[in-house]
Amino acid sequence: MSKLSRRSFLQASGLAAAGLASPIGMPAILRSAQAAGSVKLGCLFSSSGTMANLEGRLNYVVKMAADEINAKGGVNGRTVEVMVSDPASDWPLYAQSAKQMLQQEKVSALFGCWTSVSRKTVLPVVEQEKGLLFYPLHFEGDENSKNVVYVNSPPASSVLPAVDYLMGEEGVSAKRFFMLGSDYVWPRTINKQLKGYWKSKGIPETAWKEEYVPFGFSNFQTLVNQIRAFADQGGGQPIVVLTVVGSSIPDFMREFANQGIKATDIPVLGLDMVEADLEGLDTSKLVGHLNCWAYLQNAKGAANATFLKSWADYVKAKNVPFKGDVAIDPMVSAYDAVHLWAMAAAKAGSFDIPEVTKAFGGLSFDCPSGYKIGMTAENNYVSRGVFIGSVNEKQGFDILWQSKDTPKPVPFSPYG
Amino acid sequence: MTRCIHLLLALAGTLLALPAMAAPLDRPALIAQLCGNAGAMGEAGAALLALAAAGSAEDRGWAAPLAKALIDKKLACDDTGAVLGDVDAVTRAPRTAPDTARTPVLSLKNRAVFETADAALALRSAPDTDQRAAALRTLERRPGSLPEGLLDAAAASESDAGLRTQIETLAQTAALNSPDMAKRINAINRIAETPSRRALTQISALKADPAYASDAGFRQAVDRAVGRIDRGIAIGDTLAALYNGLSFASILFMAAIGLAIIFGLMGVINLAQGELIMIGAYVTYLVQEALRHLVPALLDWYLVLAIPFAFLVTAAIGIALEASLLRHLYKRPLMSLLATWAVSLFLVNLVRVIFGTQNLQFETPFYVTGGVPVIGDFIFTWNRMFAIAFAVATLAITWAVVRKTPLGLNIRAVTQNRDMAACIGIPTRRVDMMAFGLGSGLAGLAGLALSPIYSVNPQMGQNFIIDSFMVVVLGGVGTIAGTVVAALGIGQINVLIEPLWGAVAAKVIVLLMIIGFLQWRPEGLFAVKGCRK
Repeated sequence: MSKLSRRSFLQASGLAAAGLASPIGMPAILRSAQAAGSVKLGCLFSSSGTMANLEGRLNYVVKMAADEINAKGGVNGRTVEVMVSDPASDWPLYAQSAKQMLQQEKVSALFGCWTSVSRKTVLPVVEQEKGLLFYPLHFEGDENSKNVVYVNSPPASSVLPAVDYLMGEEGVSAKRFFMLGSDYVWPRTINKQLKGYWKSKGIPETAWKEEYVPFGFSNFQTLVNQIRAFADQGGGQPIVVLTVVGSSIPDFMREFANQGIKATDIPVLGLDMVEADLEGLDTSKLVGHLNCWAYLQNAKGAANATFLKSWADYVKAKNVPFKGDVAIDPMVSAYDAVHLWAMAAAKAGSFDIPEVTKAFGGLSFDCPSGYKIGMTAENNYVSRGVFIGSVNEKQGFDILWQSKDTPKPVPFSPYG
Repeated sequence: MTRCIHLLLALAGTLLALPAMAAPLDRPALIAQLCGNAGAMGEAGAALLALAAAGSAEDRGWAAPLAKALIDKKLACDDTGAVLGDVDAVTRAPRTAPDTARTPVLSLKNRAVFETADAALALRSAPDTDQRAAALRTLERRPGSLPEGLLDAAAASESDAGLRTQIETLAQTAALNSPDMAKRINAINRIAETPSRRALTQISALKADPAYASDAGFRQAVDRAVGRIDRGIAIGDTLAALYNGLSFASILFMAAIGLAIIFGLMGVINLAQGELIMIGAYVTYLVQEALRHLVPALLDWYLVLAIPFAFLVTAAIGIALEASLLRHLYKRPLMSLLATWAVSLFLVNLVRVIFGTQNLQFETPFYVTGGVPVIGDFIFTWNRMFAIAFAVATLAITWAVVRKTPLGLNIRAVTQNRDMAACIGIPTRRVDMMAFGLGSGLAGLAGLALSPIYSVNPQMGQNFIIDSFMVVVLGGVGTIAGTVVAALGIGQINVLIEPLWGAVAAKVIVLLMIIGFLQWRPEGLFAVKGCRK
């Protein structure tokens, strides 16, 4: 047990938590794998703190993907071993855990981060240590590091198609926009780009309003009042572009429904809203609200059926503390990421990060979403399909619209 | 006699409607449209709506279940048509859907059309008065999208006098653009009766109408209506600000009152207070689940029935905590701070391991669902009202316990002078324990009161700990009155600042104001004479 690891371990959980948290694999970071012939992958997902319910499940999906690869004989003749850490939803701790994984555990790749702020803290570490981070969330774009693989979509291929759909004839012909977000980089950048986009479409500045709330904000009463007042001013169909994160999402949706606003009055486009955020909500009053992701649980096709079955089996077999019948986009993206890494390493015939990076061009993988996702040699972005989901009574999303193919990802937005 | 008139009216309605239905309804074509793409579905929705206004009784009866089936995703489309539950959608002969059948999903735009069509059909043909009244409430939301003749026909065939009046009122409101000037003015006055921003936008738009310049009566009616709506909105906004402030204050108060006892009276910085709130919410959940399995008939009342459980379980945890841990640390406040922090981490992880990290699923009983629009844009929501009433009741009981019972007397005596209290025979150890139990139990009640408003998960306690310390310190450590006033103040100021400068600034400004105030008056709003140290 090294000095550094003991300290981070204490900060992450507190001594009292240690005994109880062990089923979640907390001490795994301390267990230095001596097994010869194995190659290590590291996870940077929080099992505690505000992001625990969302990020926690990604640890298991990475392990599940590694098991699948091992069952087929591993990569380059070596088995894959997954190391887990718990940055406890505490942004600086992500960087510290990343450094430890890269320096001491010598992991071949990192899979991790959910919020953009956690990714931004890890970025200098992976660049300095010449590591490789697979980031499974759709995000604000405007970033391109050769040490990060952006497995999910930048706004040009997720947010903009959804907003386009809502503004179009087939959607609701949206004319006015209330942007409500948590106060940090992702919502602010997305909203900046959206404003630029609307400006380019000739929509006047009076047609939108922007509000931000602190992390973990829960008292949405006055904000929902403001949204109602904004909508009643007339001037065309209003929508809410929701970029609050974590526990603020269900709290907002609950208040919205309780004040009697239906999706047919003012639809909410929840950019970070996943199936797991609807757990515990009475969604019969929320039917019709929207989200947009590169994967939805209701995606058709054999690949998805296989994925959902393996996840349900894995949850049962390994006694995973999450629901076996709920799958969310970042889970699938993390799963894709492990397979993409394995394919690249096999193609390169090496685990050296520069070699693996060079092998990315031309890789493609049958994603559970039903799309064949692909990488080019141009940058570390992955082209994915786009879904627009509509909340249903059963705490899930029906697929309202999906893209014909996988749009080419554009890292830097021309509208920012 | 009246029945005769009804019959005549109904007959007249049918006769008036006749020209609109020149061609008989092509049922298979309509079903095919319902199974088509978004555009075709939209047309089918519009056709259903038109049918509600002008279709024959037989066609309306046939179409009545269709819109609802689409909304509920109960229509299964296959190559030969569609299946509605277990009958064919066209012929209504028994038929089961093949496995290959698909269920069309309504786009948002079509959903609005189908909701209106469903309500329109229900208003014309639902057998139950309550169903028709509910349908009318749906239609009231979109008076502009109703086809001509629908409301007149519905009023003519309506048997319930009260409901008929409501339909006629809505019909008058819908006549805002009628060619008949008297009807227009009547509609304006009707709209002004229920002031809201939407009504204001609607009426203000009439100022651009040519009639506004040419017709004095019309102009007067519009101006009067605008003035009336403006007043209504102003009153509504004021009430809404007060209500929002009060409801936020009640949440702050519930979160802080337990701490006011533990920190205020006993001087223990209890960082596990938020987790005790969380446990109160989990106990409420367990009571709900127990009722679901044992007495499902009482499920709706779980929030009330859980009150003693939420209080007693958290109080027991508090007492156990005091007896096993904190009593040894009274002389070392810093150690008690660390110990309660460890307890809070322990409790979070314990709950996480037992229940998982996801939000719990609570039933929403009727008494905490929805709200009633009062005036302007002010909506009186029942879940917030529940929290306010609960806070008031908690305040009354806490005050009674501290002021009127022997236990309260002992607590106050120990707080003011521990040594003297011990000298005159008050069992100070036991009083400490009971006071800690009371404070913890109140936290449990807070968890119960907050569960209809916020998401319940292992992390929820962390949201309340800072706010509750803020309230207790500002109020003046150890006074219930201070806690009340501080909660009201912080709640109201927050609500007033939020719309002006945003929620982030509100939080910062309130914190700065509290810091400023404490610089000026370090003892808080209400100072207690004599402290335990």
